[in-house]
Amino acid sequence: MILGVALVRPSPVLVAVRDGAPEWPVSRAAARAAARACVAVDLGDVPTAAVAAVRVGGPCPEALRPRVGSGVATIVRGGHSLTGRVLAPLDTEAVRRFAATCGLSDFAVTATGSPMLADHELAVAAIIAAEVPQARITLSYEFGHPGLREREQATIRNAALGPEAGRIADEAARELPGVPVFFARSGGGLVSAHYFRRYPLACDLGGTASLARGRVALPGVPGEVAAAYGAAIGRPEAQVERIVQARGRAELDRVLQDARDEALTRVVSAGALPGSATIAETTVNPLSYLPDGLYRVRVTAEGTMP
Amino acid sequence: MNPRAGEAVMIDQDGLARLSAGARMFATGAAESAHTLTLDWAGSLIGPGVELVTAGGLAPDTLCVAVSLVGSTTALGEQLPRGDEPARAVRALERRLGERAGAVVALNLAAENALVPLIAAAQLGVPLVDGDGTGRVFPLLEQTTYALGGMSPAPLALAGGSGELVLLETAGDRVEELMRPVVLSVGGWAVAACYPMATGDLARVLVPGTVSLLLRAGEPGAPRATAAPFGVRTLCRGRILTVEGSTGHGADLSLPSLPSSIVVQETEGLRRLVRLEAHNEIVLALADGAAVAMTPDQICMIATADGMVVDVDKAVPGLEVDVMVVKAAPVWHTERGQRLGGLHAFGIPL
Repeated sequence: MILGVALVRPSPVLVAVRDGAPEWPVSRAAARAAARACVAVDLGDVPTAAVAAVRVGGPCPEALRPRVGSGVATIVRGGHSLTGRVLAPLDTEAVRRFAATCGLSDFAVTATGSPMLADHELAVAAIIAAEVPQARITLSYEFGHPGLREREQATIRNAALGPEAGRIADEAARELPGVPVFFARSGGGLVSAHYFRRYPLACDLGGTASLARGRVALPGVPGEVAAAYGAAIGRPEAQVERIVQARGRAELDRVLQDARDEALTRVVSAGALPGSATIAETTVNPLSYLPDGLYRVRVTAEGTMP
Repeated sequence: MNPRAGEAVMIDQDGLARLSAGARMFATGAAESAHTLTLDWAGSLIGPGVELVTAGGLAPDTLCVAVSLVGSTTALGEQLPRGDEPARAVRALERRLGERAGAVVALNLAAENALVPLIAAAQLGVPLVDGDGTGRVFPLLEQTTYALGGMSPAPLALAGGSGELVLLETAGDRVEELMRPVVLSVGGWAVAACYPMATGDLARVLVPGTVSLLLRAGEPGAPRATAAPFGVRTLCRGRILTVEGSTGHGADLSLPSLPSSIVVQETEGLRRLVRLEAHNEIVLALADGAAVAMTPDQICMIATADGMVVDVDKAVPGLEVDVMVVKAAPVWHTERGQRLGGLHAFGIPL
């Protein structure tokens, strides 16, 4: 039996799914006997943490600086152009100072050019981890899409959601001891609780997405039951987005294979059985007004669960 | 709304919002990120507003400079501006010419290219001229009505995002060839100040009134056709079947990117297969093999889901789009206009 859970107020809605058929209500004892639990939750109004944001790049107009709400932000020198050139050496000392003095432990790191080359983000993460051992660090290249400010906002939001996502995952583990727990993604599909703790942003609209899927599958049932059912019928899914440089077909095939391998690794980390992971979709677009051989690549992988 | 001599029209925060919305109606190559950042950047600069004037409303010997973003909007969205690029490019051109610019004009008005001249005007404290140099968008700097009217894009000054400044001085038809590698070497985008000319000449070669037009087209609820002064038609509604890159027949052209093809299956009516040939922008549409639209008219895809223009590099199979054809200004349909902006200019000998 697969347990579907919609985390809604005033109390969670549970649906037991056997061979695709939903049953409710579900007793606590029955819930704890589930083969797995799939949780649908919208994170739109959950409490968020104050974030320490590090942007790696050049100076910019005031209006374009990082927006962190109650957190703090800094811009340090470094980053790469989309054509792969180092804009400036990374100002490691500035990163160290900021990490040591900001007083926060949820970090969001966004480097110019990281969808192309993530070296500076990885270097910043290493410095932060050395200065603040308990730090939770989100790196923007994991979200991959170009557009520094939008990617930075996504990164900051992921970092801000981290503590609450951890609390939600802890609570699910406590309520359902021994039951593997998955969370519904915003765009469809599921990720493991481990993945949810690291990338809660992927599940920001998990409740809404599950509701939409549940309503299609079970027309006429009450909304919250539909959301729980929609989560229960999901499969693990993960995406990778990158900008890659490749001259010629052979090199493009090689970098595409790298992106696919990473998507497969991610979907396994999201809970798919290793042998079940497959590529669902690969999109490749040449970038306009840039030299031959720069492409935007998006790969979606999916799999099945035990 | 149309500014007349002696009557100041100001583009204020409200005007900026309308201009920005109007400039996206048929704009291709507009990365969301680059557009939002130029909008925020302009909003922080224009204060009480930038004066919009007609070319005829200025003294005929006033020096006017065209300002534009060149290169990749994706690159701009990733590598942010320092902030001084528009003013720095214009100042460099002024130093070369030994004369101050009294006005700024747009090269074209597609998305951020409508806002960068406004930013320059705000930084320099000069008015923006109501009009532009294409009436639509072409990818090459010399594909303008300014060039058709005998004006040269050079001398041209380029300001890059890491403080670079480059002055190009050459024959007008070599500017693109010299500029592209420079733009790439400064990170993929730059702000260009070019086509220095007396306002008296500008009045003769400009597509007039297009800024005012976009201010009207950006009014909430205004029909999309408002942004197409010379007419627009819908070629088909369909679903994108495939997106193909090619290694290209244009290898010896100075075009900035690889050609690609998009195949759209018409969802209604004749269910034709519509093939769109793109060189950064779509230059030719074939319906079941017959040419049905081509440059110098502008062909663009509008997503039916959200009404936004779909860029060639974001086209994905499965997306439903309206393929629309925006008629170019009449000057583009003359023999000289065809030579500069027709299919031959894109390496397609049809």
